[in-house]
Amino acid sequence: MSNIVVLVKASLNPEVVRQNPDGTFDIDYTPLKISDVDRNALEEAVRLKQVFGGKVYSVTVLTWGPLKAREKDLRLVVQEALAKVADEAFVVADESIIPGDYSVTANVIASVIKKMGLNPILVLAGEASIDESTYQIPGRVAAKLGLPYVGYVRRIREVRDGRVVVERDLEDYIEVLEVPLPAVLSVTQELNEPRPPTLIQIRMASRKPVHMLTLKDLGLDVKRQRSIVEMRVVTVSRKQVLIEEADVEKAALKLVEYLEKEGVLRL
Amino acid sequence: MSDVIVVSQKPSDAGELIGLARTMGNPVIVAFQDSAERVEELLGYGHRVYRVKSSRPEVLAKAVNILYEEFKPKLILGPNTRNVKDAMSVVAGLHDIHMAPDVVEVRGEVDGVIYKRGFMSERVTITVKVPYPTIILANPRIAEPAPKGGVGELKELSFDSMGVKVVEVKPKELSGINLEAAEVVVGVGRGFKAKDDLRMAFELAKLLGGQVGGTRPIAADLKWLPEDAWIGISGKRIAPKLYIAIGVSGAPQHMSGVAGSKIIVAVNKDKAAPIIKQSDYGVVADLYKFIPTLIEVLKRKRGASHST
Ligand SMILES: Cc1cc2nc3c(=O)[nH]c(=O)nc-3n(C[C@H](O)[C@H](O)[C@H](O)COP(=O)(O)OP(=O)(O)OC[C@H]3O[C@@H](n4cnc5c(N)ncnc54)[C@H](O)[C@@H]3O)c2cc1C
Repeated sequence: MSNIVVLVKASLNPEVVRQNPDGTFDIDYTPLKISDVDRNALEEAVRLKQVFGGKVYSVTVLTWGPLKAREKDLRLVVQEALAKVADEAFVVADESIIPGDYSVTANVIASVIKKMGLNPILVLAGEASIDESTYQIPGRVAAKLGLPYVGYVRRIREVRDGRVVVERDLEDYIEVLEVPLPAVLSVTQELNEPRPPTLIQIRMASRKPVHMLTLKDLGLDVKRQRSIVEMRVVTVSRKQVLIEEADVEKAALKLVEYLEKEGVLRL
Repeated sequence: MSDVIVVSQKPSDAGELIGLARTMGNPVIVAFQDSAERVEELLGYGHRVYRVKSSRPEVLAKAVNILYEEFKPKLILGPNTRNVKDAMSVVAGLHDIHMAPDVVEVRGEVDGVIYKRGFMSERVTITVKVPYPTIILANPRIAEPAPKGGVGELKELSFDSMGVKVVEVKPKELSGINLEAAEVVVGVGRGFKAKDDLRMAFELAKLLGGQVGGTRPIAADLKWLPEDAWIGISGKRIAPKLYIAIGVSGAPQHMSGVAGSKIIVAVNKDKAAPIIKQSDYGVVADLYKFIPTLIEVLKRKRGASHST
């Protein structure tokens, strides 16, 4: 079987950071959204599904609570994966793994893939999530599954003879690699131009199966490692002076005057 | 006994990481990529160095994994590069140990490590406590360099790479500009419609004695700028006196790279663009009209001041 698994995260939205009166981060009231780079992984799965012919499964592990309050955001994320490409969605939502812990999340994902018999020829994930950006879940999942892992894939050139040819974007250079399948790949934003799902796709999505799972369903016992000591919102105090003039010359003169006063113009 | 593994990709990252390692334990060093080629520089710190003549994450992961099993260290320290993040994520997965990249502060305690890093595209800082063993990756600049002294012992390591084969290696297009040191930076975003139009930005930068950088799509996707001109959380972090963002929307991943700027100016035709609220001066205008005018105004001004 040549199935594809795409990891899709419901991430805290960094554009909507909520703050408590004491300056700490109000995680519970910060909304979740699909982690942007996962859209690139989903888009690529559309193309690769043609090549492999198998099914596409999305796997989502909820890492932020409170569980009850996250239902709607979570549903939207899963819907997008289904509308875009996935045939079935697997979602793990369990109080005992909130807040997320990297090692736990990876173990849960690997366990879904194994226990649900997803049998992937390829596991695709975004290079990093938009909330934590730790770039580590795909590599961990590969280690758990005993599969080769290639990160920062900015192009998938072709699939041939049980191998996939990719371009990997490393720190100082780009490598063209032949990777034996099955494998785990993390992809970058440069991979493709994700198209939003169409209305028809969104409508069709509601008929596709969503498997809601708990750790009990997976027979999994996990040990969390990190304790969060504090989360503090970084206060940026910019002057926010608006320059809005119908006449651009006037706007330019105004800006130059401000910048001179700030002492940052040196002509 | 050695209880900290320090991974070094370039000799320039080693001093600080070794300095940090010494505050927490007794280091051995794994030298790969440039550090493997210039291993003498690392031996000068007096610790044992394992040389891995490769720059590939698969190979580095295997090397560190072997040493991890041999030494059972409490800590792995490394620079925050793509190669190292990739390799260490696999080591972390193999042993189910915690890993934290982009750490900005770290302190060793008796039973574990307390560290701080950015969260939510660095709009939040998170402080975390984890037990040993753990992996900490950081920009080496967060620590004081270790003094050199002694001559370390050299050991060689080599491994295969799970069947992953390199077909070709392509250098990245870099220009060698140093945006981090620039006093004025003009940042360009997708508001520019064509590569040719960036000429305006270069002219403005020249007038102001500055450099041109850009958002990730401009550098990485469209390749209108070299990759070392890419500003943001996954590119360069800059701290100029003046940052002028033109046709940039102000995504959090971009803004965290310019947080150190003294004054931020945004030029955007959309008053509702997130960058407007995150700048000191937000000019609501079409860049194609505004920037040529601004250049004219500045030229006039310069002309006037030079003639007096
Ligand atoms: C994990 C991850 C890491 C990332 N790292 C980075 C990073 O390091 N750096 C980075 O920059 N991005 C990064 N991004 C991408 C980031 O999320 C944004 O997609 C990107 O910064 C947007 O670039 P932009 O502002 O050029 O384009 P857009 O968001 O498309 O904005 C274009 C702006 O131009 C304005 N505009 C259009 N026409 C005109 C005109 N004629 N005159 C004036 N204004 C005009 C529009 O109103 C708009 O605001 C990352 C994303 C992820 C998920």
